[in-house]
Amino acid sequence: MRARVLFLTGLLILAALALAGVALADDGGFAPAGPDSPNANRIESIYWFVFGFAVFIFLIVEVALVLFIVKYRNRGRPRDAEGPQVRGHVNLELAWTAIPVLILIAIAIFTFYKLPGIKDVPSAGAAGPQLRMNVEGKQFYWQFTYPNGVIAIDTVRLPVQRPVRMEVTAPINDVIHSWWIPALGPKIDAIPGHPNHIWYEVEKPGSYVGQCAEFCGIQHAAMRATVEGIPAPQFDSWLSNEARAQADGSSNLGEQEFNGVCAKCHGLDGKGGIGPDIATSALIQNKDSLETIVREGRGLMPAVGEDWNQRQMDALFSYLQKRFGSGS
Amino acid sequence: MAVDVEPYPARVPWTHGRVAGWLTTTDHKRIGILYISTSLFFFVAGGILALLMRAQLATPNESFITKDSYNELFTMHGTTMVFLVVVPILAGFGNYLVPLMIGAKDVAFPRLNALSYWLFVLGGVVLYSSWFASGGAPKAGWTSYVPLSVQTQGNGQDLWILSLHVLSVASFIGAVNFLVTIWRMRTAGMSRMRMPLFVWTIEAYSALLVLVLPALSAGLTLLLLDRQVGTHFFLPGEGGSALLYQHVFWFFGHPEVYVMILPAMGIISEVLPVFSRKPIFGYTAIALATAGIAVISLFVWAHHMFATGIPIGLQAFFMISTMLVAVPTGVKIFNWLATTWRGNLLFSTAMLFALGFIAVFTLGGLSGVFLAVFPFDWDVHDSYYVVAHLHYVLFGGSIFGIFAGLYYWWPKMFGRVLDERIGKWQFWLTFIGFNVTFFPQHMLGLLGMPRRIYTYDHGGLWEGYNLASSIGSGIMGLGVLLFFVNVIVTRRRGERAANDPWQGDTLEWYTTSPPPPENFDGPLPYVTSSRPLRDIRRRLKEMRHL
Repeated sequence: MRARVLFLTGLLILAALALAGVALADDGGFAPAGPDSPNANRIESIYWFVFGFAVFIFLIVEVALVLFIVKYRNRGRPRDAEGPQVRGHVNLELAWTAIPVLILIAIAIFTFYKLPGIKDVPSAGAAGPQLRMNVEGKQFYWQFTYPNGVIAIDTVRLPVQRPVRMEVTAPINDVIHSWWIPALGPKIDAIPGHPNHIWYEVEKPGSYVGQCAEFCGIQHAAMRATVEGIPAPQFDSWLSNEARAQADGSSNLGEQEFNGVCAKCHGLDGKGGIGPDIATSALIQNKDSLETIVREGRGLMPAVGEDWNQRQMDALFSYLQKRFGSGS
Repeated sequence: MAVDVEPYPARVPWTHGRVAGWLTTTDHKRIGILYISTSLFFFVAGGILALLMRAQLATPNESFITKDSYNELFTMHGTTMVFLVVVPILAGFGNYLVPLMIGAKDVAFPRLNALSYWLFVLGGVVLYSSWFASGGAPKAGWTSYVPLSVQTQGNGQDLWILSLHVLSVASFIGAVNFLVTIWRMRTAGMSRMRMPLFVWTIEAYSALLVLVLPALSAGLTLLLLDRQVGTHFFLPGEGGSALLYQHVFWFFGHPEVYVMILPAMGIISEVLPVFSRKPIFGYTAIALATAGIAVISLFVWAHHMFATGIPIGLQAFFMISTMLVAVPTGVKIFNWLATTWRGNLLFSTAMLFALGFIAVFTLGGLSGVFLAVFPFDWDVHDSYYVVAHLHYVLFGGSIFGIFAGLYYWWPKMFGRVLDERIGKWQFWLTFIGFNVTFFPQHMLGLLGMPRRIYTYDHGGLWEGYNLASSIGSGIMGLGVLLFFVNVIVTRRRGERAANDPWQGDTLEWYTTSPPPPENFDGPLPYVTSSRPLRDIRRRLKEMRHL
């Protein structure tokens, strides 16, 4: 009996050590990722506030449990030896009803105290005024639209230290997705016909990855997104250059579209995956047939570009020409 | 007051055979055993699906299972565990125990009871037949959110709907049966406040099912119509609402969570006092907490929808209602702890699972409080944090409770005591494996791992925690396997059980193990407390002293 208990305890300790080892290798994952945005920061402070009470309650329960198990174990007493026949204790029971109520009230108050700083978008940050943009979740990519019409797929550049207010939605015939960059904090669902809002203020330059959090079909796991935080002046010049490039067709929008929209099912080489081989398909050589299939989908293929504008369509066609065209 | 049950119709000869007897039975005990064994079969099936998923997720970029199959796996795993395992196995316990505990000969409607069981089997068959449907098994998740579940091609999704419809009817009939039985058939003296706490929880289980199953049926019907005849209840492109489905589903789905945990809590409330040799601490508080949890559970559904952008005022309401559940739940945990205080604790396997329940369910309850705080939920909603939380509640809670119940009542059901040595090994493997599997998932969620992804390419912590989780699932699998080994060993050479092997408190121990067809051979004593068996033992002792 004793040997087995020792063996099992040893096993538990080993498992715990193994876990702790992995955990300490990084920041451990014991608190929300990041936080690299003021709202994420405030959520993290709520987390630690709740955490304090949770650890307190957890320890009370587990310590009492272990203590009672050790102290009141049978120890060779006859089976019918009864403990004191205590049926309850009104004051004690009132106490462990009332104390949790007080704790929960404290948590609620703290949450409501932090809430405005989490949900309200500041009108300006240290590096400039609020930026407004659109995020659309689609099977199976993210499309970002800046106020000047610049479009990006899967990777979005955001200015550092400027609040960014995002309208998050999905095309009307798409499914529900969920927009989530863990280090930047909260997520919000991208629901067809139901625009939602979220905001961030990226605190320092860097690359922040995330992925769709609402199961959306076969390529759900491939629906990744990256936020590139870049200093505001660089961002401004990039944005106006990109606008010019997208207007005259010299941008890499077509490549972004192919990689983000087509390649996830047809392969980066276009040779097929979930979807058929398109590298050699005649369909993509004809602008009209390409547009039809992109806008309407076919069979298992969703209407990936049902709401694309002409510029997006042109960008994709010319990229596909360049990449797989018979003339090249 | 006891009400006489209508006499059974004369049974035709062919129904007396060994197999035919089980197939045509209307005896609540046999139906209870059928429920429990069928659920255990599905438990193994659902567990294998889970192990396959953990194998796929053990390392990054694994290609053990394809995307499509993975989506089928988690859909079938969730649906199986909720609808074919936890809910029906608790119905099995209810079936077996409620009439015995309240001193009745059977349930109020024995034939409806049989119908309920056979519909449950049918529902299970329909669900599992979907593997052979065109397009394969359903793959839109156990919640089957629209519009995805409307657009999913193939008939797997339709069979999923059909199966849940059938299972809802089965559960509904069973629930009505329990309610009438509990309300009308208690033996003389068993007032409401003398009912065993397990009966209280089956009452709450049934009341909740009766209240919320119609919502599920309605939602499923609309979904089926959307898929098959082109109505547009849920398609935003055609003027429908994608969020409507979520409200309807969770109006059912959240009370369903309490349907799955309350009877497990009831089992704990029966097992702890017996192996502590003490009365339950605060019977009234626990009984009222059960009712309280059931009522509050009807008002918390939208905490599953904090990330959908519902108005902040609503989010605040659902945060507070959700937090309120923690209060009666806390009362139960502290009362259970107090029950063991100064007791004479015997660590039978049933007791180990009950104590294990307290140890891990507490953590599941606490992570529930975190999730109730909606701004934090915006962070971790639909992440592995939620997967960890729900398994702490449903495995660490419900399944631990169910194993406690199996070890505790097995001698009553089959006349043999399950092997305690194998039982203890099972407990420790399950307990350790469970924590190694699910604890790291909290961290994975905080790190940003969403649910329902078939693979990931992050190394470092993601890799470490996922590997730990997969190893844990293997340990847990071994633990569960030992249970079935135990069943076989016990069947062959298990120790014979007396009527009352544990010195229980409640009336099921007043009869033989297993009990005769109409449960009790003689008249029952007038019930004067919530522990009639202890009263009898004490009276016998006093008589001996005289």
